[in-house]
Order: sequence, then C-alpha cells, then structure tokens
Amino acid sequence: MTTNIYEEEFKVEGGDFMNVGTASTTLKSSLEMVGIPSSITRRASIIAYEVEMNLVIHAGGGIIRSLVSTDKLMILAIDEGPGIPDIDLAMQEGYSTASDAIRELGFGAGMGLSNMKRNADVLKINSEMGKGTSVEAIIYFTENTEWRK
Amino acid sequence: MAGGIKVQEINCAGCANCIKSCPTEAMRVIDGCVSVINELCIDCGECMRNCPHKAIMMDEDEWDLISSQESVVAICDPTFYVQMGAYANQILIKQALASWNVTDISDYASLAFDIVAYSIARMLDHESPQNLPLITTYCPAVIRLIQINFPELVGRVVPVDSPFEIAVAIWREVTGRNDDITLLVPCPAKITLVRNPVGREDSNAQYAVSVRKLVRALLAGGPKISSEQLEVGLNNRWLQWSVTGGESAHISAFSQRPLKTISVSGLRNTMDLLKEMELGRLRGIDYIECRVCDLGCIGGVGNAESRFLSKSRLDHMDINWNISADEMEALHGWYEKGIYKLEKEITATRRNPLATDLNSAMSRLKELNRIYSELPHIDCGSCGRPSCKALAEDIIRGQGEMTDCIFKLRETISELSREIADLAEHTPHTLRGKRV
Repeated sequence: MTTNIYEEEFKVEGGDFMNVGTASTTLKSSLEMVGIPSSITRRASIIAYEVEMNLVIHAGGGIIRSLVSTDKLMILAIDEGPGIPDIDLAMQEGYSTASDAIRELGFGAGMGLSNMKRNADVLKINSEMGKGTSVEAIIYFTENTEWRK
Repeated sequence: MAGGIKVQEINCAGCANCIKSCPTEAMRVIDGCVSVINELCIDCGECMRNCPHKAIMMDEDEWDLISSQESVVAICDPTFYVQMGAYANQILIKQALASWNVTDISDYASLAFDIVAYSIARMLDHESPQNLPLITTYCPAVIRLIQINFPELVGRVVPVDSPFEIAVAIWREVTGRNDDITLLVPCPAKITLVRNPVGREDSNAQYAVSVRKLVRALLAGGPKISSEQLEVGLNNRWLQWSVTGGESAHISAFSQRPLKTISVSGLRNTMDLLKEMELGRLRGIDYIECRVCDLGCIGGVGNAESRFLSKSRLDHMDINWNISADEMEALHGWYEKGIYKLEKEITATRRNPLATDLNSAMSRLKELNRIYSELPHIDCGSCGRPSCKALAEDIIRGQGEMTDCIFKLRETISELSREIADLAEHTPHTLRGKRV
C-alpha cells in the first residue's frame, strides 16, 4: 500500500501583518476535516502561527508546507531570509531580535521558537547566515497529550 | 442547536444575506428557501439581523397563551429592566407585571447573579495560573460557538450554571411552589437555554418569551403606572450583566485579588478573542467575558429598546458594588450547598470528518481542494452556500454538484454549445453534398 500523504502549501509575504494567522486557520480547518483530534489540531495551529509570525517578522516571507500522513503531521517552513546567528540563544524564552517598530505592534516577544518547541514532538532548525532558515516540526499521532481535561 | 430561530418560508426570498452572516456556516439556501443545519447553529441571531425580508424570527412561545392562565411566574432577563424610560426601576415593573397576575421573581434572580459572581470569583482564586483564563458561561451562544469552533477551549469554560436556573431552583425551594416558569429572553440563544440547555438535562424554566413582546405589551398601555418616585434600594448589580463588562465588574467585587479580565461583545470580537486564546496568547489574563451581541445582551435581537439608550441607562445607574454582610450570609449558604454547579460537563461538538478513516479522509480532502481550485473564489452565495469552500465541501459530502455554481454552469453551457456547433457540422452521409 502506498502511503497516502496530504500536503498543503502556504505562501507568506514578509511584513504582511494584516493577514498573519491565515496559514494557521487554513491548516486548522483542513485537520478538522480529516478528523485529527482537536488536541493535536491545536498544537499544530500554534506551531503554524508561530512559524508564520517568524516568516513575516524576520525572514521577509517564505513558504509553509504541511504534510499529514497516517502517523504524523509535519510542518515545514522554508525561507531565504537573513538566517539565525545563534539558534540556542534564539530558542530561549524572551530572546528576540525584533525591531522596536514590530514590538510596538505587539509582536516579537521572543516566545515564538520556545512555543513551537513546547508544542512539537520534534523540532529541527537549520539556518545558514545570508542564505535562509528551515524549520521542521513534527507531531506524532500516537501521543495524546490533553491540554486540559 | 437551532432551538431559538425559525424561518418563515413565505417571506424567504432565497437571497444570500443570512448564509453569509452565519459564523459557523450553518445555513444553506435549498430550493429557494433558507434551511439551517441544526448541529451547527449557535442561535446568535446574526441571520435575523441580516435578513432584509424579515424571514427569520425568534421561535418564542406564545405569550397570549401563557398569559391566559390564571397566574404566571416569570423570571426576566436583566435587559428587561432597562428597556423602558417610563418604568425606570425594578419595583415599578414588578407592580406593572403583578397587575397582570404575573409574578416576577427577580429578587431571586438578583440573589442568583450574586451567587454566580461569587462562585466564579472563588474558582478564579483557586485555579492555578496555567489553567487561566477561564471563560464565561453566561452567553449560551458563546458556549455553543466554543463547542463547535474552539473545541480545545471547552475545558476553560467556567462550570457554573446559568443564574436563571439557579434563581428558579432557589425560588422553588423557598416557596415550595412548582408552577411553570416563563423566562423573558433578549435573544434566540436564551430560548435554547430553556429548550435545549448545555450542561444540564432540562431547564428549570418551561417557556421562553421575548423581552420585546412584553415591553410592547406594557407600553401599549396595559397596567397603570404609578408616577411617584420610589426608593429603589434593590440590588441592581445583576442588571449590569446586560452590558459588556458588567459580569467582570460583579466578579471582581467578590474577588480577593485584583482580577485581569477582558470583556468583549459582538460576534467578530468574540471570535477574534477566542482565536487568540486558542493560540495561547492570553497569558496573564484571569477571566474572559464575551457576548455575541453588540454591547452585550442589550444588543440582542429580542429587545425592544435601542441598545444605545439601554446602555446609557445602565451607565447612569447607581450601583452598590459593596456586598453587605447580610447579603453575603444569604448567598454563602446557597454557595455551600453547591447550587451553582453544572449538572453535566460541557463537551465539544465534533464536526464530521470527511471520512471515518484518516486515509480516505485525506484523499477526499485532496479532492475537495481540487474542486475548490476550479471554483471562482468570489464567495457570491448564488449556489446557496456561504462560500466556495463550503460548496466544495458539500460536493464532496454528496450534498451538491459542480453546476450549482453559476459560473461553472455557464462554462459548462458554453462548452456544450461549442460541442453542439461541432456536431452540427457532422451531417449524415446520405445528406452530404445535398441541400438540407
């Protein structure tokens, strides 16, 4: 039997704060339609939202590709932005390189990557300065962490 | 669960105004008339607001029938008391209703609202910060919206019963009476509270009649109004629940610490706030008060008065937020009895997936996306669905066809006519070369 994979791709424009959240909303509705449990759907929308924010704030846009197979869900974000100089530092809560202008909009609190890590089972980040960044987040379906009973 | 609205088929023009206003996409135009998908309806009343033909109405009980009984016991929504300039306080309204043999049990309601506010304040005091904010259960439409659109938030809905249910329970216990109760409601959602409540098997009330109905009857010159200024003195904290922020203020009055609350009204604000909460962006907030109607319950479709005037009356009310020792003692007794607790847990309403197993659901979702990509994406509503996406989903679920889209229909006709023209060129051999 060939593995059935559902794929969805979303293009994100840099600096487009007006439409931020669309990728996550679209993904949420797709996952609901295929019957993914809401606890997983919620984690996936948080990850999608945070990668979308990063693409908008830091990377000048990029693409978000979501892949669903029978045992896991993968969210890939690929950009050709400036890259992350120190990934470990960027993972720390509260660390942000966002400009004051962006912080004034209420974004750039430095919670993005740590939020992703909290909600993903596996999070891989590859970044090359001047070339771009790719983020790969995986959620396995076997695990069933309930957010609150 | 669409208990609060009904469609007057004769008035329905089959236009697309209501289906496009529905927050859960619960409406379709089928065979020239709108129909409601009951499982998805939250009774918010948006469709009523947006129907230019007055084809959608509140499905209330017949007041004329109810009031023809010897005596009627009614519990009124707080909005009822701010609808009429002529009846400026609760006592006047009580007198007016009494002259119709209607017993208004609002004293119990004001106690019940105190109990609810107190119970919520206690829960907020004891809840650990990572489980905050909690969400109000006052607006039945908000509960249903969460059940349908924000399933992951049902655990945050504060498990406290509706103050109306509590008030009736206390009244029954104190008076030992068992009369049918009529709830005066400002919106379709509170009709559903009576007919199909969430969090309990049955409602303590039996009938639901709109606030508008009784206000009109009162103003039509039924009973005599005494013009003398009466000393108010009654607890009017609970009336503030009918405007945005009133519930939070009431809970804060009982809280041991300063609460961080967010109060919003209107469907769009409510949806935006819940979305932010679902994304985990509301850390540090204790309580969320939301109402689907603009300005709160005074903006409900079943009121008679302008919501702006109602708000102005509420804003200029003298409210005593200090709870007296006597009041505290009375409510604490009921609190200890656990009267505020919901009977049943509130659970999420799952939308039907496209197929029962993940594999075929994924294949059908791919097919859905393919169909969607062929549609014009202008969400015109002419197909009777609120959006092109909804049509694509209906097609996949076997409840529609591609040619329901007028643009696709035109394309198909144009292709067909080209084919017909082509076919017309093909004359049978016996006729070829001859004049036909």
